[in-house]
Amino acid sequence: MLFTVGGAVLPRSEQAARRSESSVYTARGALWVIIYLLFVLAPMFALLFGAHPPARAFWTEFSVAIGYAGLAIMGLQFGLTARFRYVTEPWGEDVIYHFHRQISLVAVALVIAHPIILFIIRPELLALLNSITAPWRARFAALSTYSLIAIVVMALWRTKLRLSYEAWHISHVVLAVVAVVAGIAHMVGWSFYFGDPWKRWLWIALTAFWLGLLVYVRIFKPLFVLRRPYRITEVRKERGETWTLLMEPEGHAGFRFRPGQFGWLTVYGSPFKVSSHPFSFSSSAANGDGKVAMSIRKLGDFTSKIDEVPVGRRVYLDGPYGAFTIGHPADMHVLVAGGVGITPMMSMLSTLADEGDRRPVVLLYGSKTWDDITFREELEALKARLNLTIVHVLENPPEGWTGERGFIDAEVLGRHLPPPYGEHEYFICGPGVMMDAVESALAELRVPISKYHSERYSFV
Amino acid sequence: MRRRLADELVFATGAIVIVMSAFFAFLRAFR
Repeated sequence: MLFTVGGAVLPRSEQAARRSESSVYTARGALWVIIYLLFVLAPMFALLFGAHPPARAFWTEFSVAIGYAGLAIMGLQFGLTARFRYVTEPWGEDVIYHFHRQISLVAVALVIAHPIILFIIRPELLALLNSITAPWRARFAALSTYSLIAIVVMALWRTKLRLSYEAWHISHVVLAVVAVVAGIAHMVGWSFYFGDPWKRWLWIALTAFWLGLLVYVRIFKPLFVLRRPYRITEVRKERGETWTLLMEPEGHAGFRFRPGQFGWLTVYGSPFKVSSHPFSFSSSAANGDGKVAMSIRKLGDFTSKIDEVPVGRRVYLDGPYGAFTIGHPADMHVLVAGGVGITPMMSMLSTLADEGDRRPVVLLYGSKTWDDITFREELEALKARLNLTIVHVLENPPEGWTGERGFIDAEVLGRHLPPPYGEHEYFICGPGVMMDAVESALAELRVPISKYHSERYSFV
Repeated sequence: MRRRLADELVFATGAIVIVMSAFFAFLRAFR
């Protein structure tokens, strides 16, 4: 495989550097998994050192162990959503958030299984469920468990419960703090393993560390963002109920981003409010003036009033984030976009054009109608500056339309891409259903997972 | 597919945590 930039073959050392960059990412990703497991398991195994309480039956010890592990997983949830760029980069923010959601179910299962096993082997402990007569340590356990269950119910059925994003977010954070603090209070109250004071302090310090992560996200990070505001310089109407907000840094140099990355935008209120939303940058990453654009479609919630954002308004941007960005220069780039999923692709294409990059790019772009195609004219103009082929796939094509119709599937991909399909790099962004369909189509075409990139922004 | 990667990580983490918890209990109960 040859690596070329702007038609020129890259020197061998550069090729090796590009490959080693991806292996560094893999190694970093693996390292974070090991660190995560250490944070979950090490505090539990530390209890085996020093003075021991009398041995108990296997199932009693097992139930206690899964309780410790469940609590540690809960605590680390604060770290997963702390947006540490160095941690999230090898995985992509969407994988981290999906892990955050799914691992919470594991934590809840462990925490609930802990008393259930105890009740089965020692039914007399069922009396502890009566919070009026139970000791404080049992009350804390109940409080922690109920808070956890509430977190899961509210996260899974937020829309059915008709909770606004903001109300959900605040209650999510409060309940998480209650669950963790009550969990540690239950542990300290029981004190079975805390014969040596250092063990108690180890777990208390661990809890302080977890809550410290929350303080970092909710206080320190917003403070940093607050000191680096942006101003809206233009609100531009695009095709397909989409508006582009152009923003320039106010009193600072801004940040550099890679095309395809995204930022958390706060339009109304300060960064301390839980009202920031993730959007891809749609502008070129090649201009170093700090100006950025985000193109936002009216889809409900916060976006329904995006056209009312006044020019001159001060806004806050936290970014850049995400691992969804241009790949190896030698590979044909296949961009698959659905609807407003075109925004990161627009940034990629504009950047490639500004850099004079002539790698072959195929854009497969699904839209509802011909008039709905966001950036239709801009994309046509980019063809003159790039080695770009655009294939529009329309759900409701106009009369006389001879192009692709329906949805992007394996047949559409097969018709417009040269084999071998596994040699190209694929970038997919769009509605969840479309992304699932395209990912299945790529699997059908035997494209290895390492060859495609996708990022979903439905974090909550 | 990337979600499947996250799901596999969740499954592996859950399995490791349960096995290690059983190991902890074994060490406490039988040693």
